[in-house]
Amino acid sequence: MSFMEVTLQLLDGFKTTLLIFGVTLVFALPFGLVITFGSMSKFTPLRWLTRTIVWIIRGTPLMLQIIVVFFGPGLILGMQAFPRLTAVLVAFVINYSAYFSEIYRGGIESIPQGQFEAGQVLGMKKPQIFFHVILLQVIKRIVPPMGNEIITLVKDTSLARVIAVTELVKAAQDIVGLKAIIWPIFYIGAFYLLFSGILTLIFGYVEKRLNYFRG
Amino acid sequence: MKKKVSIFLVLIFSVSALALGCGGGNEALTDWDYIADKGELIIGITLYEPMNYNDENGQLTGFDTEFAEAACALLGVEPKFQVIDWEQKETELSSKTIDAIWNGLTVTEERRENMAFSTSYIKNKQVVVIKKDNAEKYAVLEDMAGASVTAENGSAGQSAVEANEVLSANDFIASAAQKDVLMEIKAGTTEIGVLDYVMARSVIRDDTDYSDLMIHEGIELAPEEYAIGFRVGDNETVAKFNQAIEDLIADGTLPALAEKYGLSDVLALD
Repeated sequence: MSFMEVTLQLLDGFKTTLLIFGVTLVFALPFGLVITFGSMSKFTPLRWLTRTIVWIIRGTPLMLQIIVVFFGPGLILGMQAFPRLTAVLVAFVINYSAYFSEIYRGGIESIPQGQFEAGQVLGMKKPQIFFHVILLQVIKRIVPPMGNEIITLVKDTSLARVIAVTELVKAAQDIVGLKAIIWPIFYIGAFYLLFSGILTLIFGYVEKRLNYFRG
Repeated sequence: MKKKVSIFLVLIFSVSALALGCGGGNEALTDWDYIADKGELIIGITLYEPMNYNDENGQLTGFDTEFAEAACALLGVEPKFQVIDWEQKETELSSKTIDAIWNGLTVTEERRENMAFSTSYIKNKQVVVIKKDNAEKYAVLEDMAGASVTAENGSAGQSAVEANEVLSANDFIASAAQKDVLMEIKAGTTEIGVLDYVMARSVIRDDTDYSDLMIHEGIELAPEEYAIGFRVGDNETVAKFNQAIEDLIADGTLPALAEKYGLSDVLALD
C-alpha cells in the first residue's frame, strides 16, 4: 500500500476522531456548567446527588463507561439502545461534563467573595452578577486547565475502538492486520501531534486575548 | 476479570431496571424467529485475510464473507457484517448487538460456556512462529525451554501453549490480538509466538513486513477446528445453519470457495 493510500484510509478514521472530539466539546462544555450549579447548590440533597454522580463518573475508567452504555441495555433489557458511535458520544459527553464541572467549580470559587457581595450592594440580581461580573474572569482563569483536559480528549477518542468504532488508532490497526505493514501505527502519531499542536496555539491565543482581565 | 465486570454490569442494571419498574423484551419469540423477524443476521467479524477483508475497491470479501452470504441466502435472511473488537465477542453476542461470530472462530471447551457452535467447517492447527535469525537457536522444541512465549489472550493458541510440555513452563505474554503476536516477535520483545496456521501463512510472506519471520514447520501443536458461534441456547438457529453447511458442501459451493481462497487443504468435508 502506498503512502497516499494509507494516508487516505487513515483520514477516514481521523474524521471519526474529529467527530467524537467536536460533539463531546459542543455538549460537554455547557452541560458541565449545569453540573457545576448542581454541585455548588445550597440545596443539600441536590449537591450530594450531583457530587455522587461526579464521583462515579470520575472514579471509573472511561473505557468501562463506554462498555456499560453500549452493552448494558442489551444485556439487561434484551435490546440494543444505541448505535455504536452514539454510545461512544453519550459516554464521552457524560464523562467530560463531569471533569469540566469540577474545573468550572474551581474557577468560580477562586473569585473573591467580595465581588459577589459588591454586586449585591449595587442591587444586582444573582444571575446578573454571575454572567456580567464573574463569568469572564472565570473563563480567563480556567483556560490552562481546560486546555489540558481538551488535549487529553483528543487522545481519549482512541478508546472508542473498544466497541469497534473505527477511529484513527483502529484504522491504523486494521491496516497493520490486513496488509501486514507496520509503519501506519506509528505514522498516526503525527496526526495527533499536529492536531494537539493546533489546539495549543489556539489556547495560547485565547489566553493572550483575555489578558485585559488582569488584576 | 471479564466475569467480574459483567457481574458488576448486571448488578447496576438490574437495580436500575427494578427502579424503572419495566421488564425486559419479548420472550415469546424463539431464537430463530427473532432473527427471521428482523430479516437479517448480524455477523460479528474482524478484518483479516483470507476470511473477511476488503478488496481493492473497498468491498468486503473473503472465504467466510462469501460462505455466510451463501448460507444466509439459503435461509432467506440478509447477512449484515459488523466489525467488532475480538475481545468483546462474547459480550456482543449476549447483548444481541450481533447474532453470530463467523470469522475463523476456533472451537474451544472454554468458549462452549458462552456460545453454541455449528458443525466445524475448517480443520486448522496452531503453529509456532519465530524470527528467521533464530532458526538455528530454536531448531527443536527442547531448545525453546526458557524462551518467552506469546499468543492471543484466551485464544486456541494460548490453550495450545498450556497443553505443550515444554512451552507451558515458559514465561507467557497474553497479546490482545493475533496481529500483536506477530508484532511481538518482529520487535524481538517476545521470542516465540503461537498463532493459527491459516492466518500465519497468509501474512508471513516475502512481500510483507513479516518477511523476517518464519513458521516453524517441525513442531506439531494441537489441531483445531473453525465453526460459527451463536448465542447459547439458540439451538434452532444452529440447526438451520448446520443444514445450510451440509447443503453447501453437497452442491459444491463450499469446496469451490475453499479453492478460490486457497483453503482446500484444510476444508472439513465430513
